[in-house]
Amino acid sequence: MSLFWIVIRQLAEIEAMTDLLQAMSKKVITREEWEKKLNDVKIRKEDMNKLVMNFLVTEGYVEAAEKFRMESGTEPDIDLATITDRMAVKKAVQCGNVEDAIEKVNDLNPEILDTNPQLFFHLQQQRLIELIRNGKVEEALEFAQEELAPRGEENQSFLEELERTVALLAFEDVSNCPVGELLDMSQRLKTASEVNAAILTSQSHEKDPKLPSLLKMLIWAQNQLDKKAAYPRINDLSTAKLEDPSV
Amino acid sequence: MNSSNNDSCSNSTSTNNSIGGRDLGLYFLDQARLCSAAAPSAMDEAEAEEAPTELNTINSSGGFLVVSTDKLSVKYTSVNLHGHDVGAVQANRPAPFKRLLYYFEMYVKDAGVKGQVSIGFTSESFKMRRQPGWEANSCGYHGDDGLLYRGGAKGEPFGPTYATGDVVGGGINYASQEFFFTKNGAVVGTVYKDMKGPLFPTVAVHSQNEEVHVNFGQKPFDFDLKTFEAQERLKQQATIEKISLPPNVSYEIVRSYLLHYGYEDTLNSLYMAGKSTVPPVSMNQENGFDEQDLLYALSQRKTLRQLIRNGEIDAAFSRLHEWYPQIVQDDKSATCFLLHCQKFIELVRVGKLEEAVKYGRIELSKYFSLARFEELVQDCVALLAYERPMESFAGYLLEDSQREVVADMVNAMILSTNPNVKDLQGCLHSYLERLLRQLTACCLERRSLNGDQGEGFHLHRALNSTMKANS
Repeated sequence: MSLFWIVIRQLAEIEAMTDLLQAMSKKVITREEWEKKLNDVKIRKEDMNKLVMNFLVTEGYVEAAEKFRMESGTEPDIDLATITDRMAVKKAVQCGNVEDAIEKVNDLNPEILDTNPQLFFHLQQQRLIELIRNGKVEEALEFAQEELAPRGEENQSFLEELERTVALLAFEDVSNCPVGELLDMSQRLKTASEVNAAILTSQSHEKDPKLPSLLKMLIWAQNQLDKKAAYPRINDLSTAKLEDPSV
Repeated sequence: MNSSNNDSCSNSTSTNNSIGGRDLGLYFLDQARLCSAAAPSAMDEAEAEEAPTELNTINSSGGFLVVSTDKLSVKYTSVNLHGHDVGAVQANRPAPFKRLLYYFEMYVKDAGVKGQVSIGFTSESFKMRRQPGWEANSCGYHGDDGLLYRGGAKGEPFGPTYATGDVVGGGINYASQEFFFTKNGAVVGTVYKDMKGPLFPTVAVHSQNEEVHVNFGQKPFDFDLKTFEAQERLKQQATIEKISLPPNVSYEIVRSYLLHYGYEDTLNSLYMAGKSTVPPVSMNQENGFDEQDLLYALSQRKTLRQLIRNGEIDAAFSRLHEWYPQIVQDDKSATCFLLHCQKFIELVRVGKLEEAVKYGRIELSKYFSLARFEELVQDCVALLAYERPMESFAGYLLEDSQREVVADMVNAMILSTNPNVKDLQGCLHSYLERLLRQLTACCLERRSLNGDQGEGFHLHRALNSTMKANS
């Protein structure tokens, strides 16, 4: 037994030594040195404006994008009129008006649903969920049989989704059933997000704003640099505060 | 004697922002010159690295081969008797490394008697009578046996053999620190690169009649390098995308950006929209106190920005005298200087050259003797000399970006008058800018610790790259 503990202790010592050695072998950059490097970076105001505009446009803040164009002179990288249409579709889904949403998507671009069977299935599934939510049992069953079952036959995962959805009908108290989450707002949001992305892609626009990617890149870059150096870090993105190295 | 020394001395007023004010204003002076032709661009660095363009005829094993006059082909002229009469030849320069990938190709025109052609990378001191890979600090993919040699006599199984008519490529992936080789358009394998220092693209021929042609990019490659590069980028992107962010952090950062620069209307629209999204955006309340600092003088900053963006400098001056006289009371400050310059520029813009000259004599002449301001004021005055000033070297002054610099400066100066502000430097940069600077600095430092290999981060490039989804 005591041999066991001796080994454990030795392993812990080795680990502590390795940590210490690693820390010692890291290049230490003082606050002053680091601030000089930061000051050497050249960031153009117009690039930052573009980044903000890209965020407003991709997230669908039409009015804000319009105002930003006026206040900053930055041109949006997408026609603002198309945003309104896209937001209308998103809102319709978020409010549960799926039929309306489908009509709007087809008005915008009939190819979107044609080339996106998974999206179309999810929209139909949402329609089914809304029918069930409103207690329209007969209509729901009819809809499931006529519209969704044929899709389910073509595709295994569609079939599984269909079965999960229809299972809602089996329960009196839907808030307690295992598939109850389908009735959550989050399900509507998921579908809405899917539609939003599909529309953006069809307009050859990237479906995600660039800003979050850059923030993630910052976290990644700091993690990578941590392996080789001790330097002032930004740990809280929303305040961008530089924190001195703990070494 | 040296008037520029006065810049760092305090002047007679009592506001503690005057010293800070000078320093802050000077930052924008640098910004103003950023767009001129004289300023080096960060993008230049990538282009500054020269790439190989042809074969090096000076150090090649002269007795065993002959290089064509265009220095892009090589033919073996000896008789292969042993292992030290290889006809190896390097490129004229080492592979550039401040990028994601480097790649070049070789077309086997004739595999000769024994097909002992090879392609690879070698160090500067490589013995040119040997096959790449047979010596330390070299690597080579050999056509006769398809093996990869990395500095020993024995090669490792790597890829297919290759011969007459094949196009073989060799590349370096700085992100993954690997060599990769291709044959007829497809990657055949990769191997870890532990060679340090400049690496020269190398080809070799070793038996009678062997002949190869090299392509350093002067014509399109057989291999689809662009797609390969995009795929490698996507791999890295995928790792990064997995990182999770605190909820709504992008929204908050955009908000603080709008607050910082005084884009009041946009801010209000965003706020209203945020309330009605599903679910409504809820913000981190802990930021309350920072926000108070950023809300300072929001309306006034917005007004001044609008005036300056419209070129109404006189109105801007009078508002400043009314609301923040301490910012404009010292005529020798960078703030006043830039405002006067802008007024001058606006007069030139609308063709009121006589008025501009008058204004210049009254307001700009005093700056000629101040070393810091000299360059910019010279550029301003130079505008008068051209019929089409927009097209001259000083044309950058007439662009919108110049008005933007002045507007940003006034914005920062007003923020600095806030009695609650603790960190004057903070008035210069929005949180977004600080984050972007940190990102750039981290990427550069990481690259520098990695022997300067790989890409740095450039916001401009990142914004303009399109990653079209491949459906």
